[in-house]
Amino acid sequence: MSLQTILQSIQNSGLSLWIRQNPAIFPIIESLHVVAITLVFGTIMIVDLRLLGFASHRRGANKLIAELLPFTWGAFILAVATGCLLFTANAPAYANNTQFRLKLVVILAAGINMAVFHVTTHRRIAAWDTVMPPPTAARVAGVTSLLLWVAVIYIGRWIGFTLDILF
Amino acid sequence: MSIQTFGQWLYTTPVAATIRETVWIIPTVQAVHILSIAVLVGSALVSNLRLAGVFAADEASPAVIRRYLPRMWSALGILLLTGLVLIVAEPGRTLNNAVFWTKMALVLIAFVLTLVFQKPLLQSPPGGNGSDRSAMTKPVAWLSLALWTVVIFCGRFIAYT
Repeated sequence: MSLQTILQSIQNSGLSLWIRQNPAIFPIIESLHVVAITLVFGTIMIVDLRLLGFASHRRGANKLIAELLPFTWGAFILAVATGCLLFTANAPAYANNTQFRLKLVVILAAGINMAVFHVTTHRRIAAWDTVMPPPTAARVAGVTSLLLWVAVIYIGRWIGFTLDILF
Repeated sequence: MSIQTFGQWLYTTPVAATIRETVWIIPTVQAVHILSIAVLVGSALVSNLRLAGVFAADEASPAVIRRYLPRMWSALGILLLTGLVLIVAEPGRTLNNAVFWTKMALVLIAFVLTLVFQKPLLQSPPGGNGSDRSAMTKPVAWLSLALWTVVIFCGRFIAYT
């Protein structure tokens, strides 16, 4: 089965039809998607700024990361779930959209940046938990994360202007 | 001059035409608008969950508010500025739109609540936790979070109404 056939069968699915045939559904899913994105960026930014050396509401970076990460992950899961529903509504159009593809690549890059940080710099966090400014590796991870998530949001907004099917 | 004729006049101004005709301006301004609401939501989340007593309870709430309230004000400034650019570009989309005015009313309420329930905490001593606050603090914290969520919904729905 080719990719185009898979995309077309998603497009022909009952869920896809349901979203397209109920004019209120798409904006509701989109709104939830935006709420989720603001929570992802809003919480990860607090951590990223702390990694850059901007103080947060507590001294220790370790506890800050531990207490904010569940919010970031929860919101990210909501963003992915709502994103999948939006994709389902117009699968071929999104799959052929350059900005959509680029957005997925940048999200992947943000994920890799986070994974690298967790298996390297974060392993040694006890040594720099309350040290200001944090080590260079932490600052690099922080600024990379910020830039990538800004890019995700910017590219995401462009999808609305470049998608072939407009509501 | 009615708001409708004002909107029609605004639409015909050269600055509005320039914003509309320059391909990158509206998406870029909208992206900055979303990034700013994200900064605001992140700050509001931490502050209000602290005031509700379910987050960072080991940190004094005035200290938490002191950290995030300035970020909320900066975000609000950028939101109003970018929002203004979007209104100038497409006045018909907003000024005649009930969802837009609902959003503005909710933003106003949310910020009045922030002023009344968060700003006074800045005056309390650094170590104290402002425990003499009113019994309304917790419900208002939850209400504020609900308001910001509805504000985002309204913002997205402006495009559809």
